[in-house]
Amino acid sequence: MNRLAQFFYVVQEGFRQMIRAKGLSAAVIVTVAAALFQLSIFLGVDRVLDRALSSAQESFEMVVFLAPSAQPADVQRVQSLLTADSRVAAVKVITKDEALQDFRKDPDIDQMVQALGENPLPDSFNVTLKKEAADNVGDLIAQLKQDPQVDEVNYGQGQVETVSKLTQAVRCVGLFLGGFIFLAALFIISNTLTLSLWARRDDLAMMARLGAPSWMRWGPYVWEGFLQGFSGALLVCVLLELIHRSSSALLQAFGGFSELLDLPTQDWVSLYLTLGFLGAALGALGAFLALRKKWVREIQ
Amino acid sequence: MIQLFHLTKVHASGVQVLDNAFFSVPAGAFMVVAGENRAGKSTLLKLLAGEDKPTSGTVRIDQKDIYSLSSRDKQKWLSEVGFIFPDLKLFADKTVEENILFPLRVRGSFAEDQKIPVAKLLERAGLQAQAAHKPSDLSSGELKMAIALRAMVFKPRLLLADDPFLGMDPKSALTLWRLFAELHKSGTTVLISLQRTQDLAAAGETLREISLTMVQLQDGKLTPIEGIA
Repeated sequence: MNRLAQFFYVVQEGFRQMIRAKGLSAAVIVTVAAALFQLSIFLGVDRVLDRALSSAQESFEMVVFLAPSAQPADVQRVQSLLTADSRVAAVKVITKDEALQDFRKDPDIDQMVQALGENPLPDSFNVTLKKEAADNVGDLIAQLKQDPQVDEVNYGQGQVETVSKLTQAVRCVGLFLGGFIFLAALFIISNTLTLSLWARRDDLAMMARLGAPSWMRWGPYVWEGFLQGFSGALLVCVLLELIHRSSSALLQAFGGFSELLDLPTQDWVSLYLTLGFLGAALGALGAFLALRKKWVREIQ
Repeated sequence: MIQLFHLTKVHASGVQVLDNAFFSVPAGAFMVVAGENRAGKSTLLKLLAGEDKPTSGTVRIDQKDIYSLSSRDKQKWLSEVGFIFPDLKLFADKTVEENILFPLRVRGSFAEDQKIPVAKLLERAGLQAQAAHKPSDLSSGELKMAIALRAMVFKPRLLLADDPFLGMDPKSALTLWRLFAELHKSGTTVLISLQRTQDLAAAGETLREISLTMVQLQDGKLTPIEGIA
């Protein structure tokens, strides 16, 4: 008995069945494609938010304003405190004169400053924190706020938290909707293949009586499901590649989606491979579920 | 060897078709079971194939109870049996050639390796012109012949044929008898059920070359008929 010849038969029959039942195959392929396209959209949004979060964390800065009464010695002391902290990547002193110069670039503010007749701005520090310390600077802020010569500490942790929460929310919604869409797709695929099995129920029973081993009877259906799922994934990959190549301007126009265009080629390839795997698995699983139905097992 | 031990079968309708049948079919035998319509010939063949269960008694193949076989052993047993049963039709979506190739393919042969032997077999059976046709294009007699070829092509250990000549013209019937005789010579145990004993006449001289055993199935009993061959 030649296993290779038997395997070849299963592969050939799977192809033939898929082509023979064109209508049902098209229904499965479109269902898989729709589910995977939806998933790709979520992956895209997730990727954009992920990069936005990463970018927010990378540029996480803290601004420390000193009291107007602060003396050069106080500036020196606070600067030393900041530079000594391991969580601080860089410290830049902005003197009140430099701050004023910057402010006066705006003609309206310039007029206001002239009317005041004196520089109302304090000395300040632009503190760049290390990425890994972005969520862990509470005690440094508390220590700075206790200093009588420190007037105010502004930090962008709120923004990071907002983006982080948004990313998590999108992931949760994506997982829920993605799971729901996948289950719906699985249900449709399984039922479509059940129809195909029902149409060939006599043949299935006959195959057993003609000596076909069990795996050769269900093999073509699993392979057919696999092929249909993979074809659906292929359709989505072609569609995504077309969007990727031809709609750069459109993607850039929709806030943040330009991030997708910056993805390296290997990320796109990895996305396509993931979609291919998911599509094939979805199709094969749908076929497997159809074959597990009681009446199908009985005629086998 | 196939042995029937106290085989009794009562259908759900209450009709008894086998009554404590006790019989042996030696390996390599060529046996014809004759009986009238509804005598229970088809039921007997289905019981031998393990496709139906008796009310009592059992069938043993090489000392193994056929109804106690594991699904794996049953599959193995089925793979050694060629069936010519009225309900076992050809696959409608395959050509005649593909249908006949099917048992070979599921037993691990590449289609390309078997095309020439199958073409020769089709030629001998007078079906070479129908090789590429779908079953729907065949006449009733041609369908019967194609089904018989499919059951024989893999040289089964046991051939069970339920009224295989029904609807066949005498020439085709003679061809089929010859094919049965050849298969028998190659070592296959052949068991044929016949409603019309006239079908034996169609065999002509063919049956003289083989040692034919004939039994009558009547009132649920299997009785040997002497002096037929």
